[in-house]
Amino acid sequence: MIELIDVVKKYRIGVHEVIALNGVSLSVRDGEFVAIMGPSGSGKSTLLHLIGCLDKPTSGKVLIDGLDTSKLSDRELTELRRDKIGFVFQQYYLIPTLTALENVELPMVFKGISKEKRRSRAEELLELVGLKGKKDRKPNELSGGEQQRVAIARALANEPSILLCDEPTGNLDTKSGKVVMEIIKRLNVEEGVTVVLVTHDPSLKVYADRVIGIRDGRIVNAD
Amino acid sequence: MLIELALRNLARTKVRSTLAIIGIIIGVMAISSIGIFGESLKAVILENFKDVANEVIITPNYVHGYTSIDARTVKKIESIPFAELVIPVKSESALVECKEKKTYATVYGMDVRKTKELFELEKGTYKGCLVGSKIAEFFKLRVGSRITIAGREFRVSGIIKEGARFDINPNYAVILPLRDFDRIFSEEYSMIIVKVESIDKIEAFKEAVNKIVNRKESKVSVFEMKIIIERIKRVFEKVTLFLMAIAGVSLLVAGISILNIMLMSTIERTKEIGLMRAIGAYRETILKLFLTEALILGLIGSVVGGALSLLGGYSIDMLILKTAKYAFTPSSILYVLIGITFGILTALISAMYPAWKASKLEPIEALRYE
Ligand SMILES: Nc1ncnc2c1ncn2[C@@H]1O[C@H](COP(=O)(O)OP(=O)(O)OP(=O)(O)O)[C@@H](O)[C@H]1O
Ligand SMILES: [Mg+2]
Repeated sequence: MIELIDVVKKYRIGVHEVIALNGVSLSVRDGEFVAIMGPSGSGKSTLLHLIGCLDKPTSGKVLIDGLDTSKLSDRELTELRRDKIGFVFQQYYLIPTLTALENVELPMVFKGISKEKRRSRAEELLELVGLKGKKDRKPNELSGGEQQRVAIARALANEPSILLCDEPTGNLDTKSGKVVMEIIKRLNVEEGVTVVLVTHDPSLKVYADRVIGIRDGRIVNAD
Repeated sequence: MLIELALRNLARTKVRSTLAIIGIIIGVMAISSIGIFGESLKAVILENFKDVANEVIITPNYVHGYTSIDARTVKKIESIPFAELVIPVKSESALVECKEKKTYATVYGMDVRKTKELFELEKGTYKGCLVGSKIAEFFKLRVGSRITIAGREFRVSGIIKEGARFDINPNYAVILPLRDFDRIFSEEYSMIIVKVESIDKIEAFKEAVNKIVNRKESKVSVFEMKIIIERIKRVFEKVTLFLMAIAGVSLLVAGISILNIMLMSTIERTKEIGLMRAIGAYRETILKLFLTEALILGLIGSVVGGALSLLGGYSIDMLILKTAKYAFTPSSILYVLIGITFGILTALISAMYPAWKASKLEPIEALRYE
């Protein structure tokens, strides 16, 4: 369960203040697939980063499973991200020196999971995203779509209950975008993972249980 | 995995890592080689004194009014068990003449059988009047030449080899057998040179002297050669330390280069750091990753540098001391270890700031960094 209560996020650039989010309240139930849609610069990524505890709101509250994240220490926030949240970014952000398999292992390394367990889980996950045969490739030996699938496998490493996706198909062609979206949808349906997807691509609406519009840092048509 | 990751990161910038390692190698080599050389130098110098290390000089206690040592005291000292060799010495300043030339010199009187324990001869024999090399040079003396000492004529029987002692300067000395000396001068002793069984018996010997001779009144003072040797040792240790500190500058330079490449790599890897923080790496994990990278650089550089420094020490020894017999001693290993320790510490300390900086990055700002 994700809850945002009157969240405001301001950025300061010199003397200017940019209001990226201007009083956003919303809640996402467990197992729900929510798409947040809006034009560029409307505050989608900012919203997702706040949900993912990568950033803190200027005012307002973000609650994850009823836990007020503003009250958590940096260490506790790190553990929350590690154990409960999976991120999928538009730019994949794979570590270039590590193989696909090792990239998937990384969150488990941070959690202190033993090598054998890590290995077998990472292999399972790569199989799930259809990359079993390419586990020893470095990111630069994979296509964009494949890299994004590795990123999804990595996001799932510590069995998070929430998957946060920021334009996951933004850098992909239609076909590989579809593959990626179908994996995400399947995780949502079969594993009950809560998915929050932000995008400006209306064609992704079909995957969502609910679509929330955002414009100039405000929710416009929460339905 | 952290080590694995660190290794791969270093491999990613091979040239840079190699240069950093070379820097550490040079630094460690400089420090350790100089250390080994300093130690060798000390050993070579002390070699000259190894014969006198167990020597003790007993002089009259002038402070208490004693100006000479009597025969009874000499007997008492000879009776102390730790005294391996006791050489009572008489001395007097006297006019020495030969043909037209004259000079004042210190004339010593000692047992003919014992002079060979103190001096080596260049020419001649011990039986009779011995003269130091400078005296011989001054008067153009040869074995058999005649000289006049305090008005009496003597025939030179031996010329002392050039050397150095603390008690008697052999180069300017004129030495007479006791029998001859007694005919000219007073009959009491001015000092006693004692060779003690071994260096660790010196304390016991001193105690015995104080108990037997100085019991009622402090008649004699005891001076150990060991003290001078200790001083020389300490001076050379300081010199070595100073030279090592100068060599340490090269390690400082290596440290700065590590600082530099680490800063570069924190900047280049900002996004990666952000990603790792996003997926659950603690700040300490990032800190550890960077320190591990530095540790690997430091470890490789130091171990290679340490090994090469044995070669370096050997070369400097050969070049300057013309001997390498002290290049590979336990204390050389100590200097290698010191070098290695400093090498590793330099790498770690230099990486501290970049690692701290990397760990302080806010995840989202790092991810958005362009
Ligand atoms: N770190 C920052 N410093 C200053 N302004 C920022 C920062 N991050 C975001 N903004 C501003 O906040 C607003 C919202 O940005 P955000 O990245 O959330 O938009 P977005 O909806 O994700 O856009 P896009 O679809 O282009 O990714 C924008 O006006 C942006 O310029
Ligand atoms: Mg965005």
